[in-house]
Amino acid sequence: MTTIRRFCCDDLLRFAPVNFDHLTETFNMSFYMTYLARWPDYFHVAEAPGGRIMGYIMGKVEGQGESWHGHVTAVTVASEYRRQQLAKKLMNMLEDISDKMDKAYFVDLFVRASNMPAIKMYEKLGYVIYRRVLRYYSGEEDGLDMRKALSRDVKKKSIIPLKRPVTPDELEYD
Amino acid sequence: MASKYGLAGGIPERRVRPIWDAIDSRQYKNALKLCVGLLAKHPSSPYALALKALILERMGKLDEARSVCLNAKDLLYSSTAVHVDDLTLSTLQIVFQRLDRLDLATSCYEHACAKYPNNLEIMMGLFNCYVREYSYVKQQQIAIKMYKIVGEERFLLWAVCSIQLQVISSNGGDKLLPLAEGLLKKHIASHSLHEPEALHIYISVLEQQGKYETALEVISGNLGSLIGIEVDKLRIQGRLLARARDFAAGAEKFQRVLELCSDDWDAFLNYLGCLLEDDINWSKASVTDQIKLSNSVDFQNCKLSTLTEEVFNFRLSSALSFVQNLQMKGHNDCVRCPYLATIEIERRRRLNGKADDFKLMEVLLNYFNRFGHLSCFTSDVESSLHILTSDERNEILEAFGKSSESSSTIPTKAIGSAITIFKIQELFDCASCFPVSDLEAIAVKMVDMYCKSLCLSRELDPQENMHGEELLSMACNVLVHLFWRTRCLSYLLVAILVLEFGSNIRRYVWQYKILLLHLYSHFGALPLAYEWYGTLDVKNILLETVSHHILPQMLRSPLWSETADLLKEYIKFMDDYFNEAADLTFLAYRHRNYSKVIEFVQFKERLQHSYQYLMARMDASILQMKQKTDKLEDVECILENVKHGLQFLELSNEAELKLLTFNEDFQTRPWWSPTSSINYLLETFEEGTAHRREQKHQVDARECVTRKAIEWKSLLPRMVYLSIQVASSFLKENIELNGSVSDIDYTSEFKCLLERYARNLGLSFEDATEAIVGISEGKKSFKEYDLEMVHLINFAVFVNAFNLCTHHLEPGVGHQQSSWHIVNSLVEKCISEELMHAQPILTSPGNNLPILVDLVTESISWHILVIQSCLRSVIPSGKKKKKPSATDQLNLPQLQPVHASIQCLTNSIQDVQTWLEGQVNKPEDESLDTLLSHLQRGDTEQGPHQIFRILEETATESNPELGERISGSLQCWNSANVIRKLVVAQHRSVTEFHCICASKLRLLESFKQLI
Repeated sequence: MTTIRRFCCDDLLRFAPVNFDHLTETFNMSFYMTYLARWPDYFHVAEAPGGRIMGYIMGKVEGQGESWHGHVTAVTVASEYRRQQLAKKLMNMLEDISDKMDKAYFVDLFVRASNMPAIKMYEKLGYVIYRRVLRYYSGEEDGLDMRKALSRDVKKKSIIPLKRPVTPDELEYD
Repeated sequence: MASKYGLAGGIPERRVRPIWDAIDSRQYKNALKLCVGLLAKHPSSPYALALKALILERMGKLDEARSVCLNAKDLLYSSTAVHVDDLTLSTLQIVFQRLDRLDLATSCYEHACAKYPNNLEIMMGLFNCYVREYSYVKQQQIAIKMYKIVGEERFLLWAVCSIQLQVISSNGGDKLLPLAEGLLKKHIASHSLHEPEALHIYISVLEQQGKYETALEVISGNLGSLIGIEVDKLRIQGRLLARARDFAAGAEKFQRVLELCSDDWDAFLNYLGCLLEDDINWSKASVTDQIKLSNSVDFQNCKLSTLTEEVFNFRLSSALSFVQNLQMKGHNDCVRCPYLATIEIERRRRLNGKADDFKLMEVLLNYFNRFGHLSCFTSDVESSLHILTSDERNEILEAFGKSSESSSTIPTKAIGSAITIFKIQELFDCASCFPVSDLEAIAVKMVDMYCKSLCLSRELDPQENMHGEELLSMACNVLVHLFWRTRCLSYLLVAILVLEFGSNIRRYVWQYKILLLHLYSHFGALPLAYEWYGTLDVKNILLETVSHHILPQMLRSPLWSETADLLKEYIKFMDDYFNEAADLTFLAYRHRNYSKVIEFVQFKERLQHSYQYLMARMDASILQMKQKTDKLEDVECILENVKHGLQFLELSNEAELKLLTFNEDFQTRPWWSPTSSINYLLETFEEGTAHRREQKHQVDARECVTRKAIEWKSLLPRMVYLSIQVASSFLKENIELNGSVSDIDYTSEFKCLLERYARNLGLSFEDATEAIVGISEGKKSFKEYDLEMVHLINFAVFVNAFNLCTHHLEPGVGHQQSSWHIVNSLVEKCISEELMHAQPILTSPGNNLPILVDLVTESISWHILVIQSCLRSVIPSGKKKKKPSATDQLNLPQLQPVHASIQCLTNSIQDVQTWLEGQVNKPEDESLDTLLSHLQRGDTEQGPHQIFRILEETATESNPELGERISGSLQCWNSANVIRKLVVAQHRSVTEFHCICASKLRLLESFKQLI
């Protein structure tokens, strides 16, 4: 039971129960507001009856040529609302916008290599591990770059896995 | 920044690049050297000067930076031949901004715009300057100019946004809306619109003027295609139709939304709202809501429907059949909206007095059967459960119980349903009516159930929530309730152990952390509470919304360094945000997300008026003063930084207080302390009264209390300052009686502030004076006044200081005692009263340590400052030039009361010291044994002991079904260690306070040596 709508600044004052989750980072203000100012269509919040925040997704669209893609920066769901496929709904929404509105080739995301529950979930949603990024998280833990091709990438070229891992310096985007 | 160079101010890029590289890599010395070289070649280049200023600013040489910047500005203004570009201007702008001189940056841009009238880049820079200054009219004017030059849609929208901002920020600004509409219309006629955000703004301009039909025509016409997602368009159309009171058409739109997104609860509420022609929610939507495209409806406040019974029933029946249809279509168990909708329909029926009562119960039970195992079940149906009668509540609980026993075969679902039932009991506040034995049994059941269900989580990743995690939070809630009722310490200790046990198994459960932090706070183990707060990783915007969990306790504690850190981090976050807020707004302008522009400005305003921010700034200064009371000069420096206390008086004027915003998120607070100013555990439990009072009422009352607290705090620094001032001349009155103008000024201001202070306490100045005199003479007692003692004693301290210059309270003139004596007597009485009731912190949660801390670190400290100031005036410090007649001025009879005060403070603090010493010197093991005995003694079959036993047995028995990870963490469990940590933390609190008292005593001793 979800009302999914655009995230707005006031939601920042209400998302504490979601962000208390240990894997959900609370970024500085300019980070959130840059996303809101540049990609408001990629920043959505799910609200429960009574107005509680169930979770949210933030992302962006970037790249050039065939690497024009949607990117999931964060997706998180409050513990009370887990195991209801809410993350899936939010991801589908972002994929839809990347696909239909921005005509992107694929959607990608980074996940901690140790975060098995998340990796499994993304796999279920159709993402594949495109490459491993060495010591991506604070110079310690490896990250996995996972991708899902969109309709514009007819031959699914964007998701052919790289054979070797890359370092953070080799990444095209921040 | 480095990417922005090019031909800057006519200087070749290759000469500039190394300087930027050095700046970017923070090699400022090198950058400066290179820049000096550049200036040698281009001495009259404003750009080179701007770079130099930038480097100097980064090096912290602010004065030099300012002067170089001003040189560059002069150059820009003076020479007609000089090359001016946006890079030069923007570099200067950065420095001016950092030097807090936005006005100078703006005037540079204004000058450049006048010089190059059609340079779009510079005009955009100027627009940005106005954005930074929040000058909406000027923003509008320059945007219109740009629009006229190039005719681009974006500049028109910049102007329209600037108009919207004027409308929002002022009364009567809405006369501008027709202008905005006219501009847009004209542009659309010739160029159409190309951006979805432009269309949103156009619609909101129409909506704000109530032109719903026009807005509908626009969105339903060609321009509507700009909205890429069909349901978004339908939602807007639905909203507009409802606002235009075309409810039938509105309902149709929302029905269509539900067909496409059957789980959209908001759409369902809007659909129902339209069907029932419930227009209260549509017409009052604020401008902000319209701009944010919000469709939210407050259905808690639904009033009686105005429809006839027949129509009402017909409409609800059609809604019911529609949602039943949706139920049939959906096969996904994750879609709950069509099912919850049936409950909402019955709820509406009942609110209108047209209900079949069984029906509501029936749909609730159906919903439970389907979704009862979900963690969010209770919050889903909360509003419907609230309207049940008490009989119905019992009935529904029974029905849920039966249903969960008979249906759930999957263990995870069974535990989920059981948790839901406990949660509903919690919601109904059953704890207040159940007998103690029943409550004990419930707590035991919860803990037992948690331990037995551990095996269900054996395969789970440590990152995932475990099944039944909530049971321990709920058990804690019940145990705390039992403690409240019985005052039996073992309940509280077991509540702590239960949560620590859960955290030991999975350390990521924030609900446990918050409960623990509050339990430890109440138990006087603040260092441990602070540690748990640390594990919540509260930072950035969370500092605004959730630091209420720890900050109020810390401010009344002796943990000064941690408290200062908390305040510093919070204030820094807010200040940093305010510094960058305007640039982020400009970013939204640049990226053509106009609705965000308005949202950003409003959000910044909201945070700017945050009560917590205002409070924190005052608290930070007051805390600094507390930390430095040993040295009068240091306190004077602190006061100087806040304009001798005037700054806070200005910040807390009535107009500002009206604008205050309260942004805390109280959702996560424990039941016994729903806001930071309420702690039920400090009150007595009264049989049969529900502790959960109306939430809204609590919040309103709290806001009122907070406004008072702000006023009170804002007065404090200024009154301390005035006290120091008048005390410094108290022995010189004869000499300066006619000569000192400033003293006379202080007198009237001081009197005025004392009156305000008294008013803030709810008393007139005369009544407050009478109170302190009465108490000091033993004719009245503190208890007669419903006030915190520290406030009254502070008043006495300030009155005494005031008296030094006015002799308002003179012995023999209606009063028997001097004002010095009044302070002494109040301090003495208050401390002895507190110590008489004081229990050792170890076994008395919620004890009076904070009150004693307040007395010593506030009232007594402010009085010590007065004494210091008096003494300084007669005994100049060694380094100062000794006045030749200083000793002659020593008027011993007049110093007598000072001396007596010093002795009185010494005695009182010594009494506190003695009380503290008993606790500081108690061996840790002894304290540990005392607490452990509360857990171990007595009948082991009684609730708390039984729970303790369950935890211990679960930890020690080896159960292969639990898997390696859970078994491993159970092996590490040691309840004695948990209690020991508690003891250590309490000990630290007491020790810190002991140190503060010791330092005060040393100071007072040094005064004695002086006279």
